[in-house]
Amino acid sequence: MRTMTDVDAVVIGAGNAGLTAAATLQRAGLRTLLVERHNVPGGCATSFRRGRYEFEVALHQLSGVGLEGQGFTLRGLFNKLGVSDRIDFVQEEDLYRAVVPGQHDVTLPADWAGAADALEEAFPGNRDRIERFFKLLRNVAFWQIAAMRGLPGDDINPVLFRQGLRPLGDVLDEHFDDPGIKSVLAAYWVYLGQPPSRLAFQDLAVTLFAYLEFKPWHVRGGSQAMSTAILDSFLDAGGEVRFNTAVTGIRTERGRAVGVRLDDGEEVSAREVVSNASLPVTYGMLDASAVPHRIRTDLATRRVGVSGFILHMGLDATPAELGFTTSTTFVNADTDDERTYAAYHTLEPARGICLSSYDVAPIGFAPSGTTHVGLMTLQYSDLWEKLSPAEYAKAKFAYAETLLDRAEAVVPGIRDAIEEVDVATPLTMARYLGHPGGAIYGYDQDRTENWLFRDSLRDPGVPGLHLAGSWAGFGGFQPTLEAGHRVARNLLHAQPA
Amino acid sequence: MKHALAPLFDGHDAVQAEIDRRPADTADHTAATRRILDTYHPARLSLTVTDVVTETPSTATFRLRRPDGTDLPPFLAGQYVTVFADGTSRAYAISSSPARADHWDLTVRRVPGGRISNHLVDTVAPGHTLVTTGPMGTFHHNPLFHGDDVVFLAGGSGVAPAMSMIRDILDHGLDRRFHLLYGSRSADDVLFRDELDALAAKHPNIRVDHVIADPGPQWAGPTGFLTASLIETLAGPLDGRMVYVCGPQALYPYALAQLAELGHPPRRIRFEANGAPADPTAQPHWPADTAPDTEVTVTARGQSFRTRRDRPLLDALEDQGIRPEAACRSGECSLCRVRVVKGTVHAAEEARLRLSDEKFGYTHSCVAYPITDVELDV
Ligand SMILES: Cc1cc2nc3c(=O)[nH]c(=O)nc-3n(C[C@H](O)[C@H](O)[C@H](O)COP(=O)(O)OP(=O)(O)OC[C@H]3O[C@@H](n4cnc5c(N)ncnc54)[C@H](O)[C@@H]3O)c2cc1C
Repeated sequence: MRTMTDVDAVVIGAGNAGLTAAATLQRAGLRTLLVERHNVPGGCATSFRRGRYEFEVALHQLSGVGLEGQGFTLRGLFNKLGVSDRIDFVQEEDLYRAVVPGQHDVTLPADWAGAADALEEAFPGNRDRIERFFKLLRNVAFWQIAAMRGLPGDDINPVLFRQGLRPLGDVLDEHFDDPGIKSVLAAYWVYLGQPPSRLAFQDLAVTLFAYLEFKPWHVRGGSQAMSTAILDSFLDAGGEVRFNTAVTGIRTERGRAVGVRLDDGEEVSAREVVSNASLPVTYGMLDASAVPHRIRTDLATRRVGVSGFILHMGLDATPAELGFTTSTTFVNADTDDERTYAAYHTLEPARGICLSSYDVAPIGFAPSGTTHVGLMTLQYSDLWEKLSPAEYAKAKFAYAETLLDRAEAVVPGIRDAIEEVDVATPLTMARYLGHPGGAIYGYDQDRTENWLFRDSLRDPGVPGLHLAGSWAGFGGFQPTLEAGHRVARNLLHAQPA
Repeated sequence: MKHALAPLFDGHDAVQAEIDRRPADTADHTAATRRILDTYHPARLSLTVTDVVTETPSTATFRLRRPDGTDLPPFLAGQYVTVFADGTSRAYAISSSPARADHWDLTVRRVPGGRISNHLVDTVAPGHTLVTTGPMGTFHHNPLFHGDDVVFLAGGSGVAPAMSMIRDILDHGLDRRFHLLYGSRSADDVLFRDELDALAAKHPNIRVDHVIADPGPQWAGPTGFLTASLIETLAGPLDGRMVYVCGPQALYPYALAQLAELGHPPRRIRFEANGAPADPTAQPHWPADTAPDTEVTVTARGQSFRTRRDRPLLDALEDQGIRPEAACRSGECSLCRVRVVKGTVHAAEEARLRLSDEKFGYTHSCVAYPITDVELDV
């Protein structure tokens, strides 16, 4: 079959950024074709059913939603995309509970003063240091956001330049002595995938700021409801979507992207090609001669990022019966985050886990009286890729046991409550996303991946090609939802009238 | 290229130096990713039928291999593959051992009036090619909570996944007790009988009890159905052991009732997916006053056609040559999900829809029925 479809824009992949890009383009009047390998929209932002339960795949806590009336929020973005009235947000009260058994067990409420009080109570004598740290964090986050929005250097408070790029670990060491308080404050590093020694302070600052200032949220119907809502808006505006269809090639003419090839042989011509696929796969779909040398050099110095290992569980007991006091709980073996990070390359028992209980603030996935829990750690895919297929299942279940062992510290007897459990490994992520290494946040988001040094959003290197998603910028929900919209808007501005 | 603001940041040169120092990553990531997919989850496989074994007059086992003889994707005993034939597809459990990666056995029994089962048994011979999906499904032993002492209630060809589970235990030397209660209509209808009896005789952790509904004079074993009291007599107190159930559709509500009578908790029962309901109108939520044998108009991909209200949309679409992706055909896997643009569609109890599907008008076409004229986005 070799037919030819002609559209204004084609979007490869219906992950967060692909969806917001497609909706933005179509609503601005560009005839847009959205092509997705999988049979549902969302990429990571999806869910699936097991028995009586539905399981959230990826969203722990949505940052940046904000309260009505706050500026610069995801709510504003959803308004622009016409989906606000199609999404029901569920607010969470706390940031997280951080536990190192035998050492500390602290729950941080999702407001600055409450979080400071909780930290002071757990680690007395740190009040002034906490206030100073939060003040710095707010400042750096604020100016970093302003800088990314294009404010000229002269107008930016130099505190950003002095502190922003420092490793998070250095900034924490400078403020605190107690390893416990440092570990509690740094807990969200796992949402970014890099430990305090490798993470730029500004990146954790923006993350904590986004949750403290704009609160942690979830969505009734999970992230799939959000993905489907954005798709709905795209379809309402006249957009066309093809599921179960992969893009296998990006067509170029005289160095410019002019369309794509689909796995059923069809060719699509389009003035603009937006890719939500990973960068290695995207550039791999281009004729080698179309990719400039500087892009190749840049890609070669970036490192395929971390993936996840997760137990999706349906537990036959209420959150209270199980011992869940809040939605998000981090349990760590100790405060040695660097060692925990190093262990992501090994199959030694999981040292740090994140437990998400989706029924403290219910998103509607578990029948009443039961609890849907995601039990997760990070893992690189290298070891999983080296396993022989015959060893895979055994290794997967054996490693899963180590997460359950760790979870016992906060949910004693968790195994007895299991009604359903399904395990996803880095290979599962690679299967569903088509991303190298099953990476869930794109490239490793260490300091070298900072927007100051990487240019994929502004300079994809191939005219007509645009990149949107975790591989071209920050990973995570809020950043990718925003990136797709921004990339589409920039593309629209550059359009000939 | 560095951002214009970068030089203003303390430490920017150290970060740039780290970038410059890095050895080039020369791996072919696209190829590595494709290898994962091909090894574990190929979308389609073209396999060669190398042997056909006639098990009983109504049942044949097809042995499938890759044409080049290389290993097939790994699977967990109990999982199925979907076979594409004659414009449609059907799911079949793999009955061979997961320890043997060079072949899969599919054991197919004729369904009276069944289109694909008869087609396969009648026409497929060694040398033929069958197109399948990779292994799928969640009906397998899960060591995280199923325990190492399990019971399997099988009826008819529902023994196929049990056969694979038993072979798994023996070939991998697993420390797991497995008790099969296997109901058949008549004594000459029992699949794998000799092999099952030989394995049970040799391995103390494998127990097999045949239960015959219409026994001939020769039969000395248990008779009738898999009643609560028979289950208890043969298997002893269930004590929370995981119970797997696979067989004809009528077995499911029956087994559930028997197990409930024994006080066995539902969450310690696993039912294999089992196709669309034989009679969707028998389910209590079938809309009142909707005559099943009347026709409505379905519009999809630019075609409009008439179909009966009690025919699953997926089958109706396939009749017209429209073939959505599909695998389990039992409401579970969601691959045949379609959007209902106009009209009303009824979803059978089997439909495992996502919460957001109902809100945005999606359904699983394999277990969905058009109640009014409908327009679908396929
Ligand atoms: C288990 C897990 C937990 C997570 N927890 C959090 C969290 O708590 N908070 C947070 O902010 N982030 C979290 N993340 C990360 C976050 O989900 C992702 O970073 C983000 O969703 C990525 O969005 P994206 O736009 O880059 O697209 P992706 O989700 O990466 O999707 C890319 C899409 O492109 C499609 N595609 C790829 N190649 C092709 C092709 N050739 N043709 C057609 N389609 C193609 C894929 O099928 C996929 O649908 C988590 C992720 C996972 C998996």
